[in-house]
Amino acid sequence: MLIMTPLGLLPAARARAQGAPLTVLSRAEGEILDALGETLLPGAAAAGITNYVDAQLAKDLPFLIYRYLDVPIPAADFYRGGLAALDAYSEATHGSAFADLSSSEKTTVVGGMAGGKPEGWEGPPAGLVYFVVRADAVDVVYGTEAGFERLGLPYLEHIAPPERW
Amino acid sequence: MARFQDEEYGRTGAGTPGAAPVPGVTPGVGASPAAEVTGASPAASPGASPAAASAGEKVDAVIVGCGASGSLLAAKLATAGKSVVILEAGPNLGLKDMVSSQIWSRRWRWNGAETENGGAVGAGFNNGWGGGGSASHHYAVWLRLHEEDFEVTSRFGVGNDWPFSYADLRPYYDRIQEEVGISGDAEAEVWRPEGDPYPMPPLRSLGQGRAIARGFAAIGVRTAPTPVAINSVAYKGRSPCVYDGWCDAGCPIGALANPLVTYLPVATKAGTEIRFDCTATQILTDRTGARAVGVRYVDGDGAERVQEAAVVIVAAFAIQTPRLLLLSANERHPDGLANSSGLVGAYITAHPFQSVYALFDDETDVAFGVSGGNVLSQDDYAKDPDKGYLASWQWTGGSSVKPNDLIGVAMARVDLFGDALHAFIADASKHLTNMAWVGENRAMVDNRITLSKTTDRLGLPIAKLTHEFHEDDLKALEAGMEQGQAAMRAGGAREVWLSGRATQHIMGGAIMGTDPANSVTDAYGVTHDVGNLVVSGTPLFPTSGAVNPTFTVHALALRQAEHLIEEWGAIAR
Ligand SMILES: Cc1cc2nc3c(=O)[nH]c(=O)nc-3n(C[C@H](O)[C@H](O)[C@H](O)COP(=O)(O)OP(=O)(O)OC[C@H]3O[C@@H](n4cnc5c(N)ncnc54)[C@H](O)[C@@H]3O)c2cc1C
Ligand code: SF4
Repeated sequence: MLIMTPLGLLPAARARAQGAPLTVLSRAEGEILDALGETLLPGAAAAGITNYVDAQLAKDLPFLIYRYLDVPIPAADFYRGGLAALDAYSEATHGSAFADLSSSEKTTVVGGMAGGKPEGWEGPPAGLVYFVVRADAVDVVYGTEAGFERLGLPYLEHIAPPERW
Repeated sequence: MARFQDEEYGRTGAGTPGAAPVPGVTPGVGASPAAEVTGASPAASPGASPAAASAGEKVDAVIVGCGASGSLLAAKLATAGKSVVILEAGPNLGLKDMVSSQIWSRRWRWNGAETENGGAVGAGFNNGWGGGGSASHHYAVWLRLHEEDFEVTSRFGVGNDWPFSYADLRPYYDRIQEEVGISGDAEAEVWRPEGDPYPMPPLRSLGQGRAIARGFAAIGVRTAPTPVAINSVAYKGRSPCVYDGWCDAGCPIGALANPLVTYLPVATKAGTEIRFDCTATQILTDRTGARAVGVRYVDGDGAERVQEAAVVIVAAFAIQTPRLLLLSANERHPDGLANSSGLVGAYITAHPFQSVYALFDDETDVAFGVSGGNVLSQDDYAKDPDKGYLASWQWTGGSSVKPNDLIGVAMARVDLFGDALHAFIADASKHLTNMAWVGENRAMVDNRITLSKTTDRLGLPIAKLTHEFHEDDLKALEAGMEQGQAAMRAGGAREVWLSGRATQHIMGGAIMGTDPANSVTDAYGVTHDVGNLVVSGTPLFPTSGAVNPTFTVHALALRQAEHLIEEWGAIAR
């Protein structure tokens, strides 16, 4: 999964490992997205969820699942709003930013998001943020040829995904 | 942060009780330059904005939308010697772009104007985009409506009758089935209305299909192989299916009948010109309002143009078709074009849909097979008020599911995350079975498309969709869920659960009928008010039935094409 970054074309995972700068999201937003992705599906951060989402948001026609959901807000605003809401909610309920919570606190917060409407959450609906970022995490971990291999599924492509995503 | 309130999120938010539907248009539309084009040739329209450039010669027919219905109409009209231009909002994607990946498959989804959506109907998911429309990556479950679906008002006093009967449409189903190719077992479909046997034997059943059929048999429900417009053997030069399960991302080998391998090549060979990245924004009429003269559109460079034509055909699916008619309001049609009935946008139907999931100990080959599945049951299709509800329903089971995406394995348990999600995906990728319950949605006048106050990137009001299910639809769903879970358990499942409720397919919005007072078009899709303006595709459906609509879309379009060609002199004048 090669994505365009300010350091050039890189696999999403390597872009993250090399600390490639983000183009749409801020560094702070990237950190929250990494922490949320990792809580939703361990391995998503290392697989490059943040660089993948950021590279998609920079495109005219992002391939993100967000496209299906009839949400009349530009995708970048949705992600920014959702990540800010998550941080604010974590501060209010646990006294620190989401990325700094312990893993069991993160699980509690994300479990609340999965349930739909955590009290005091302000921003794009928590359930929708959960749904969208969870889908992104599954995309980068399992939606690729490497992901199928991990599951022992033959990919059987008609046309293989281009190197560059 | 105020703008991030739930009501902006329609679908997943707390639910916006949509404002009462307002037939007609918002005042903003009347003020658009378009409203003034009720006179001279559109290319010289006295609009407030600079006149749109003419896009060349007047043609016999301009078709808005290059999907299932638009492609077929273009093929038939062009073959009959008519000059045809198709305007398609989406890009020029072809077979080479059918990348086997659920992530890449999202390129094929609608990316035009959003829809203000207060219900459970997935507009962005269902709308087509580019050559072939949503049929380019549809699953090709091709079923006939039943006789009673055409007569729900006269038989049961609900919904709308179709302006003709099954017997009238049957020859077109038979001919399309031969032209395109369907694999199935007509005899095993004991519920099937009369029709020619399928030209190809059914597809093979994999693990999931066998488990589902076993479960249904154990509770006394009959099943048959799902009839699909997918080749089980080579057919008319197209390859047979190889069961890799990638149909949702598009079938580039042409085993699945998408318009890119069926009617579009015929259309272009016969001279049809397809203009991609061209969004129709208004249908123009002459001064009297009785005749359409062409279509105004915005091309890929953002330039506004007009294509003049003797006949204008709108085949832009169930949301954009009524929106375009409403956007085309002018002095003679102040409430929207062809809307003297007030019914443009009305009677939107969407099949309620819910899946039953199960895990089996045996491997189910869930990632493989075809996306449309390989087992069908219509044992409860017959409408019978004694059931306590009036609605048809069916099962299509055993569809191939890849790990990710909206219909992916991971979505079968949206509640799971963390290590539990990894464990589920690993297990379910080998052992999951799924079957989809598809039901009828009662046609109701208040379920409709109107124009929103929000505008798109071209400054035009987007569509606002107001939709609710009838209580009978939901009672039928409940009965189905009970039956489905019982079947999975009887088949030996170790765990059974239900998906959330959703919808499949969108129909209505410019319905056919016999009377200009209660329908938008006649039985051939010609609008009652504008004699050379034609609608095609799912917007014409007066009721939804409970079968997937695309076989019927094809049969209808063939019937329309032949009528247009026969009556060309009178219609095109
Ligand atoms: C994932 C999926 C699976 C499906 N599976 C099945 C199945 O198994 N069986 C079945 O029967 N049906 C299935 N369907 C439904 C099927 O695709 C539709 O019923 C069928 O394509 C409708 O045909 P249509 O001609 O009305 O519209 P479409 O084929 O959608 O074509 C409409 C076209 O109009 C274009 N358009 C819209 N507005 C404008 C504008 N203003 N200017 C220019 N162009 C415009 C769109 O871009 C689109 O290309 C499926 C749909 C989806 C999304
Ligand atoms: S499973 Fe069959 S129909 Fe589907 S994409 Fe593969 S070859 Fe085509």
